[in-house]
Amino acid sequence: MSRAAEVPERIVRGIQWGMAAGFVCFIGGIIVWIIHLIRTAWRLGDIPSASIGISLVAIPVFLTLLSVGFYVFWGLLTDRSER
Amino acid sequence: MADRADNRDAVLLAPIERTGAGFYWAVGGLALLILWGAAAYSTQFTSGLGVTGLHQPVSWGFYVTNFVFFIGISHAGTLISAILRLSKAEWRRPVTRMAEVITVMVLFIGASQILIDLGRPDRLLNILRYGRYQSPLLWDATSISAYLTASIVYLYIPMIPDIAILRDRLDRRKLLYSVLAMGWRGTARQQTVLNRAIAIMAVLVIPIAVSVHSVVSFVFSMTLQPMWHSTIFGPYFVVGAIFSGIAALIVAMIIFRAAYGLHAYLKPIHFRYLGQLLLVMAALWFYFTFAEYLTGYYGSEPEEMKVFWSKFTGRFWPFFWAMVLTNFLIPVLCLVRLGRRTIGKVLIASLSVIVGMWLERFIIVVPTLSNPRLPFGEGLYWPTWVEWGETAGSFALFALFYLLFTKLFPVISIWEIREGREVGLKEVEERLLTYLPDPAELGPAESSAAEVT
Repeated sequence: MSRAAEVPERIVRGIQWGMAAGFVCFIGGIIVWIIHLIRTAWRLGDIPSASIGISLVAIPVFLTLLSVGFYVFWGLLTDRSER
Repeated sequence: MADRADNRDAVLLAPIERTGAGFYWAVGGLALLILWGAAAYSTQFTSGLGVTGLHQPVSWGFYVTNFVFFIGISHAGTLISAILRLSKAEWRRPVTRMAEVITVMVLFIGASQILIDLGRPDRLLNILRYGRYQSPLLWDATSISAYLTASIVYLYIPMIPDIAILRDRLDRRKLLYSVLAMGWRGTARQQTVLNRAIAIMAVLVIPIAVSVHSVVSFVFSMTLQPMWHSTIFGPYFVVGAIFSGIAALIVAMIIFRAAYGLHAYLKPIHFRYLGQLLLVMAALWFYFTFAEYLTGYYGSEPEEMKVFWSKFTGRFWPFFWAMVLTNFLIPVLCLVRLGRRTIGKVLIASLSVIVGMWLERFIIVVPTLSNPRLPFGEGLYWPTWVEWGETAGSFALFALFYLLFTKLFPVISIWEIREGREVGLKEVEERLLTYLPDPAELGPAESSAAEVT
């Protein structure tokens, strides 16, 4: 038996889910910020094409990073197979 | 579980399990430098940027030089580590973790230079509220955010099996290691998930890293300032970044090899290979520098020539020629023949390149601003104790972050070393056989000739 059991499993899981939520909020925050800049540029007629062009690259990159993070999180935590 | 019984790599866990007096001396020394930096920043914060040597027209000095330099160093890690992983270079195993840590730590320090340069950090909110994507400065903010996020993910994912070893082996920091280990038990499925995620990240971080330093160069090259408006600035900056990154990685490896007794893991062969990479990058850097300056000289545009001659024979000549000496002549002399004393030669070359690349950033930023196109007189820039303090503090903070990391996590990837022993050897043999001609495909004459030879 692993000595990791000394730490209550519920606390560990709670913090891990909290970290995952924090990661979502961080990436989500950046995407919201980029969208806010597009809206501001659009509203002011301030060359929105620049914002749209960069967001077309930046948003998928951040979403890919989020996907990889979640793939690892889900893939490791939900594995119940034996070693 | 994972490995209480396997003590072959105990030396890698020793710095985490025990702390010697050297650690406290190092922390004490670095803390003094950080205090100097804090005092400098406090003075600047209360009195404004007037206490620095920055003024018009030289509004960028040490801080922007440090910013470009630190962001460049960050290429040590992610890019070198990712390229070595993707190319299945087996000698990467003890190297990658150190490189990835450099990237994450130095990105924090590099990004903070812009906050320091702002003078009033509250103005950062203006970027969040009113940022304009026409400005390369905002491209920088976006790409550095992406790079930092990717680098943290890329550092963390390969650390998971090692964190599980710490969770199972150590009696302290159980909560920290249990949380970060993500329930790792080393099952086949977990291994598959891990390997797939590392492979995806290795592919992803390379274009992100290249884009980051290209965008850093765009901050300069998108202006019409003399000797900044250059089409090769993107690749020139990327080459310089990889160059300085390799040098920083070598220095970190040598320091921790000596401090933590990692001689069995970081062998002269690792330094030889990295030294050869450094030599190639020195040649590439020289080629880009030569092309950049020759093009400017041949154009003979008056404003460009003012900056050009200020670097070659004017006020900035000591910095320019010191840059050529430290970035090209010293590394080439040290690295061209790596017979005996490999590590000593590689260390001298790396330290030289670190100094040289900082000078290169300085020589790009300041002379152009001193001789702008606008009708200003020639600007003088003398950094005050505030800039020196903040520069020293920034370097010390980076070193302290790195040192603290090594007290929490193994600085060499334990599971990758074990994988190298258990799987890597066989894999390399099989891979090597696939490179060679298959005897079954050879004709009888070729087969018998091959047998004779």
